[in-house]
Amino acid sequence: MSQTQIETPSPTTTQAQPAHVLKPERSRLGLMRPDHSKSVFIDWLTTVDHKKIGIMYGAIALFFLFIGGLEALIIRTQLIIPENDLITAQRYNQLFTMHGTTMIFLAVMPLNSAFFNYLIPLQIGARDVAFPRINSLSLWTFVAGALVINFGWLLQALEMMGLFAASGPTAGMTDMVPAGGWFGYAPLTSKDYTGVGTDFWVMGLQILGVASLSSSMNFIVTILNMRAPGMKMMRMPVFTWMSLVVAFLIIFAFPAITIALGQLMFDRVFDTNFFNVAGGGQPILWQHLFWIFGHPEVYILVLPAMGIISEVLPAFSKKPLFGYSIVVFSGAVIGFLGFAVWSHHMFTTGLGKVATAAFSLLTMAIAVPTGVKIFNWVGTLWGGRVRFTAPMIFSLGFVWMFMMGGFSGIMHAAAPADAQQQDSYFVIAHFHYVIMGGIFLALVSGIYYWVPKVFGKMWKGTLSNWVAVLIVVGLNVTFFPMHFLGLLGMPRRTHTYLEGFGWASYNMVCTIGSYILALGILLLLVDLIRCLRSGEPAGDDPWDARTLEWATTSPPQVYNFAQTPVIPARDALWVHKHGPENKKITYEADHGHGIHMPSNSWMPLIASVGFVPLGLGMTLMQAGVPYMGYVAIFGLIMITIGLILWAIEGPGGYHLHPEQENT
Amino acid sequence: MKTISNGFYRFLQYFSAFIVVTVLGGCNLDTRMSTFVTKGPIAEEQLNLFMLTVWVTFAIFIIVGGVFVYAVIKFRERPNDDRPMPSQGHGNPLVEIGLIGASILLLAVIAVPTLQAIWFTQETPDDVESRMGAWYSGEELAEEEAENPLIIKVIGYQWWWAFEYPQLGITTANEMVIPAGKVVHLELRSVDVIHSFWLPRIAGKVDLIPGRTNAMWIQAGDNFAKWKEKQGIVGPDQDSPELREGYASYLQEEIHNYYYGQCAEFCGDSHARMLFRATVVGDREFEAWVADEKIGHGTPDGRSWDEWYTAYEENPEQLTGDLNEGLKLFMGRAKCATCHTVKGNPRAVGVAGPNLTNVGARLSIAAGWLNHRAEDGGIDTEQQYENFFNWLKETDVIKPGNLMWEANGGGIGELIDEHGEPALLTDEEINKLSLYLQSLK
Repeated sequence: MSQTQIETPSPTTTQAQPAHVLKPERSRLGLMRPDHSKSVFIDWLTTVDHKKIGIMYGAIALFFLFIGGLEALIIRTQLIIPENDLITAQRYNQLFTMHGTTMIFLAVMPLNSAFFNYLIPLQIGARDVAFPRINSLSLWTFVAGALVINFGWLLQALEMMGLFAASGPTAGMTDMVPAGGWFGYAPLTSKDYTGVGTDFWVMGLQILGVASLSSSMNFIVTILNMRAPGMKMMRMPVFTWMSLVVAFLIIFAFPAITIALGQLMFDRVFDTNFFNVAGGGQPILWQHLFWIFGHPEVYILVLPAMGIISEVLPAFSKKPLFGYSIVVFSGAVIGFLGFAVWSHHMFTTGLGKVATAAFSLLTMAIAVPTGVKIFNWVGTLWGGRVRFTAPMIFSLGFVWMFMMGGFSGIMHAAAPADAQQQDSYFVIAHFHYVIMGGIFLALVSGIYYWVPKVFGKMWKGTLSNWVAVLIVVGLNVTFFPMHFLGLLGMPRRTHTYLEGFGWASYNMVCTIGSYILALGILLLLVDLIRCLRSGEPAGDDPWDARTLEWATTSPPQVYNFAQTPVIPARDALWVHKHGPENKKITYEADHGHGIHMPSNSWMPLIASVGFVPLGLGMTLMQAGVPYMGYVAIFGLIMITIGLILWAIEGPGGYHLHPEQENT
Repeated sequence: MKTISNGFYRFLQYFSAFIVVTVLGGCNLDTRMSTFVTKGPIAEEQLNLFMLTVWVTFAIFIIVGGVFVYAVIKFRERPNDDRPMPSQGHGNPLVEIGLIGASILLLAVIAVPTLQAIWFTQETPDDVESRMGAWYSGEELAEEEAENPLIIKVIGYQWWWAFEYPQLGITTANEMVIPAGKVVHLELRSVDVIHSFWLPRIAGKVDLIPGRTNAMWIQAGDNFAKWKEKQGIVGPDQDSPELREGYASYLQEEIHNYYYGQCAEFCGDSHARMLFRATVVGDREFEAWVADEKIGHGTPDGRSWDEWYTAYEENPEQLTGDLNEGLKLFMGRAKCATCHTVKGNPRAVGVAGPNLTNVGARLSIAAGWLNHRAEDGGIDTEQQYENFFNWLKETDVIKPGNLMWEANGGGIGELIDEHGEPALLTDEEINKLSLYLQSLK
């Protein structure tokens, strides 16, 4: 690091505002690095700090959670009475397609990512992730992909305002919003049946794949290589463990959908015949590729949630996690088995008896490691000191709701019974219990648990009780009747239904429930804003917690730990506080060269932004809009230039010398 | 944090009361597409397996949920809690292994019946009494078919169903007719996107996938042997006229009915409006229906089709009356015959749309969306007329995206007059067409 600038600021100011003391230096390109910028805006755009990136992931994910929730509310309102004509069939199909896509790829995955980013380096005692600039690339590429997928809504809005019309050069732009379902089954997504919306969907998902893959590589390297001394694998917090499993799942699962999307794009753009029956293609191939990705995706969503629960329950039971090693191991087993059950999404496609039986049994097998986790969570509570704090209430809610989602999962595993449940509202009930009742409650629990660490402010009052009751009541009222709706024969993805089938009253109840749920989520935002505006200072360890992130300041300094901690045990902070004298956390001595911090950079942002013209250009070119090929090429050039300059500018960095406050 | 306030509890009380009233008030499990009230061996097998999973998981729910609730209450922190710090143990391998073993055992309880049910539902049985030769006495059955069960080809279109009876040489649409108590072998395929055949009271789903043919078997009601078994009449050789009569009245009273089905795989714009029906009838009724379908229809005024077409070509004006006018529109300006077949009519042989033979005898049109079944199971003719009229008038509203409205210049939403100007069917024309279609029965 010969080019790094080393300044020694005066000790009194370092701790509070180190950024304002240091001056930016030039990169190898001769350009000024955006370090220590006076503009907050530039600082956040170019940041490579895992904490800022985590906060941005969280904020954007909550925004899309709001959008996806709005889509769901319109869907539920349409279904409140039979033969409602609030929205057209086409709009309904767009809404449920985008609701699924948004919630999975733009809300839950990035919210998980927010937790990964913020917590993993803190939990393992690292300064940052292994590749800070790749982390920035992941964030902005995710934003680019989200923009491309949602671009159709923007056009649709412009069209409704009379500012855009699909005519003349844009005549080919029909069906502007994706409407082929989040699962995009061929051949409905071929260009014979759907328009440009499907292209937005295909390109957007491909771009999101880039973001997910690069951040997974980053976390694997971080977790394997950047652990503080003494932080052995089997001393890592369970959340970090689950994140590691998820990162591997993403790396193995995303190639399948990348191939499928690539083939679909080739079918649509270059008239290949992967899924085109007339040309000898096989639509069933899409289903296999999609679900080889799609089922592990479920575990990609749920394992971090299980990690959060495995942090919160011990913290508020004053006990270590019951069966730590078996919880970790079962997480890994779920990860492996998750790749062996994809065809249970296809029991009705005519798999044949033997394949149906095999996937049926494997699906039942996956209930075992999942059950093990639930047993161990209950075991953690047993004999503990259960404190009903906000995070704990949501975590307890998780265990209950997730268990119910798991039970309907076992019902699906029995393939002949599934023949009645498949593609009915029963399935919607099942996976919303898992995703809303499970993952979402866990994420809310995580928000309540870690926000005091992230922003250094404590929650105010007992509004969280109302949030918990409204959300739990709301989601049970919304989704429990759906079990019956499905068993009484109501198929999924239908924009309306006839009277006389016994579905009307259930739908009414579901819709009322969804409003209650929405109210709960709104209240959650209110609580969050209240906390951020006027919360009392939280202190470093407001919950009397167990893991390493609570050992540093709230909010943590840019360098996380002034000195590298040496980890004596699992649940290091708890053992430090309550354990024997010889198990204290110690800190490695600073030998005078300070902390090396990475420089901010424009390059990941530039490369990521290039994905927007690339994605939109490819899509609109396919719809016959003139000159769009050039726009796509421009995007490609932008990405390439961003990456090349990134390589040339050099890693940079600067040194900080904080006071030795942790010793 | 503070405990939950009083007002809160009252809110909860009112709310749960509301939920109980609303949900239980609407809790009728015997509905048109209920999977709880089954009318065939496949749906019954599927329901039995489902109920088994319900009871097993319910047992786990009570045990694990009970322990969970007990733990939360028992081990909660109390005000001024001065109990010693909980033991910081990391788990108990024996407990873990025991619980894993118990889970596996419980899953095995589900797994074995699951495997049995997979084989039962996916292998078309060779039921002697279901062989065509054993019960079908209508005309023109090829000899080699006598050993086979009734075969129906189910073909999915966006957004309607064709039902072909290859052994009998007939085709119908959206309302299939099957004999009660007989094994029926279905061959399912799609011409466009993926659909899924779901007749909940009789059988769970099987998908219709373009480029491949799936198969399933269905049976409305039990066969004689199974019925005897359920009656507690043991011994395979038990047979007598009285028993046969009892079985026949079981079919008559419990099975002969009108069943509701629907496409279950998302298939585009009007997926929600791709319904179908199955009418389950006795053997003789089935044969009569087949014979009727084979004959098809004559001309409205009783002439032969040759004479009618000669008159039509010489001077259409001489064909008068609402039905003749309707037929002229059907063959001419409205272009119906381009896509629709009407058995008997030698020039109405289109295959892109549903077969309209005996469409006037069906209890619904527009793939089950518009219904005119009267309370007594017959046809509500006023409603039927209204349905035909509305369907022809606003096809695009009733089934958005469908080909009848816009078929690349061939649909009724694209009709033009002699000057090339758009000229949709007038209400008077629609009236005549509706009357004609109503007469097709």
